[in-house]
Amino acid sequence: MTTTIAEQEVALVDLVDRLLGGGVVIAGDITLSVADVDLVYVGLRALVSSVATAEEKNALPAMGSAL
Amino acid sequence: MRDKVLAGPLELDPFAPDRERLENTLTRRVNADPESVERGLAQLVLTIVELLRQLMERQALRRIDGGTLSEEQIERLGRTFMELDRRMEELREEFGLTEEDLNLDLGPLGRLL
Amino acid sequence: MIELYAISDDPAPPDPPLRAVPCGRLTALCGPASEGAVTAETLWRHEEIVEGLMETRNVLPVRFGTVLEDERAAARAVSGRDAQLTASLDRVRGAVELAVRAQPREPSRDAPGRWGTGRDYIAAKRRRTAEIRMVRESLATAARDSVVQTESEHLRAAYLVDRDAVDDFARLVRRVQRAHPGLDVLCTGPWPPYSFAEAGEPA
Repeated sequence: MTTTIAEQEVALVDLVDRLLGGGVVIAGDITLSVADVDLVYVGLRALVSSVATAEEKNALPAMGSAL
Repeated sequence: MRDKVLAGPLELDPFAPDRERLENTLTRRVNADPESVERGLAQLVLTIVELLRQLMERQALRRIDGGTLSEEQIERLGRTFMELDRRMEELREEFGLTEEDLNLDLGPLGRLL
Repeated sequence: MIELYAISDDPAPPDPPLRAVPCGRLTALCGPASEGAVTAETLWRHEEIVEGLMETRNVLPVRFGTVLEDERAAARAVSGRDAQLTASLDRVRGAVELAVRAQPREPSRDAPGRWGTGRDYIAAKRRRTAEIRMVRESLATAARDSVVQTESEHLRAAYLVDRDAVDDFARLVRRVQRAHPGLDVLCTGPWPPYSFAEAGEPA
């Protein structure tokens, strides 16, 4: 079943909450989620990127590394 | 695998934030036009106001439950918060922000809403 | 550098490029550390890997972006928490996570009777809070366990549901939605048990 943009965005919100806010926490040597503030940025950036993938591949500016 | 919505309303917007505004916030692109700057600031300010409003409301409800307030005081408190709520809604509409747009991630404290 | 995807009590090796790293009675499921910017695509691809593992074994998903120096470091970290992780694995065996959000449907600002007296406002707020609590509790009856992330007038909760009870849970959500037309109720999943992975001390 194909998903609508809205369904993808909604699912992404729940995905990000889980991936970045849940799961087993093991102190890594490097973690992509460095600070809680960064988590928000990574989460929101991922949301925007999903829209780009779905409909506006050429319109979004290039995003730098999350680190 | 990405088909994750098991049940939901026809209109999913209340559960997803406004992507256009997020785009600017995320890329940290400085849109110098007055309207964008104003909107970005509005989101910041309203998020904090909303946080305070909710905290105060909860405090007030606890006081009311405590049973030490008169009918008149309860009525006044209720009216004050009703006005705050109404004013917040007007401000949100003015800047085109939904509740989800103000849904601040407080890190270990979870989300605001 | 390696990335830790999930922890299991099943030692069976996964498909490459993932590897099973033994950690006492547990197994760390690792892969090469991913590079590059974090985007929705990277998050979904990570999720696909974890869900793929979940199809064939009991797992606890690990927080995204957990990168360690090598397999020895992974084994040390995981066996160091053996008791808690084993308890969590027992807790989630045979179950998946379903995410629920519920909130009042926005009435039009000028709807009659929306803004009454101060007492009306408080009473309406209490009614909405009670309604959300009812929703939370109704859904909990169809789940093995639940974690509430936020509540009051907005519900955000995670439910641990038996794999074969997911359809029933979804049906219950729809019933709850019909019974509460003033709310918008959303359920997504199934997800790996992210919200039940850090279970705390074993019972």
